[in-house]
Amino acid sequence: MILYTMMPEELIFPLDSSTYNTQKVVTHNGIPLLVEKLEGPECRVLRVMSSDPNHYMNDAYMPGTKITLT
Amino acid sequence: MDHQMQNNDGQEQPKEDRPSPLMEKIQQLGQTNVPQLSQDSKIHCLTIVGQIEGHLQLPPQNKTTKYEHLIPQIVAIEQNPKIEGLLVILNTVGGDVEAGLAISEMLASLSKPTVSIVLGGGHSIGVPIAVSCDHSFIAETATMTIHPIRLTGLVIGVPQTFEYLDKMQDRVINFVTKHSNIEEQQFKDLMFAKGNLTRDIGTNVVGSDAVQYGLIDSVGGVGPALQKLNELIDMNKDESEGLVQ
Repeated sequence: MILYTMMPEELIFPLDSSTYNTQKVVTHNGIPLLVEKLEGPECRVLRVMSSDPNHYMNDAYMPGTKITLT
Repeated sequence: MDHQMQNNDGQEQPKEDRPSPLMEKIQQLGQTNVPQLSQDSKIHCLTIVGQIEGHLQLPPQNKTTKYEHLIPQIVAIEQNPKIEGLLVILNTVGGDVEAGLAISEMLASLSKPTVSIVLGGGHSIGVPIAVSCDHSFIAETATMTIHPIRLTGLVIGVPQTFEYLDKMQDRVINFVTKHSNIEEQQFKDLMFAKGNLTRDIGTNVVGSDAVQYGLIDSVGGVGPALQKLNELIDMNKDESEGLVQ
């Protein structure tokens, strides 16, 4: 099936609302991070959201590393 | 005398508390010392990547720039006296007109020097964001697509819809012509050009062409951009010092 439409895909095929809750922005030690929730308090860093370039040099928050939220 | 006595006390106490100072030294040697840059960077950096998200939240697999994240950051940058300049890096496909214009207006009204670089692409609503800064750069291979705005979702087929769309388009055109050296007619010509894009109206402007049209100030990457930003910061400092006198 091919749909020729100007409608965005997510309007035609809406996703389950739970998929929107898998990611969230948290502030960890003053650094805003976009994280993916894993089991329990564990999270995987997806993106550093800070505007300070020094925060990107911190190995502890490299995208892909796991952090534990308290 | 007091100092010496305190020092002596201080030296004696650890001997009693910790039996082996050698152990302490070994533990200290075992720690890695990560070289740290100075704690506060005077130049902050905003990256505008993926789609610029509007009122509708996109599914998590999309890479998006959310205005509710960017705008508080811009406010924080304006308020923090330690931050002297802002570098904006764009690689965006465009997105919501209102959100894009909101970010552009925030950047344009920032009192601190701002420099933008378009890397890869700064398409549709990325154009006003790129020109909103004090000085704009574009990488030689980067492109910017200039095209008319469009509506998605439910569109009511009445003449008013067209007028609404036309007014929204004027806001984009006015912003771009006000903040760059491009002439209004030139920008409109690029926007409504036929035959450049497959099955679409508009123009794809590459690196040096964007500079030629006056849309972007110069061709360059991160080196020239930071150099320009430092120049602007120095000029800003001189001006503020001059005002005090």
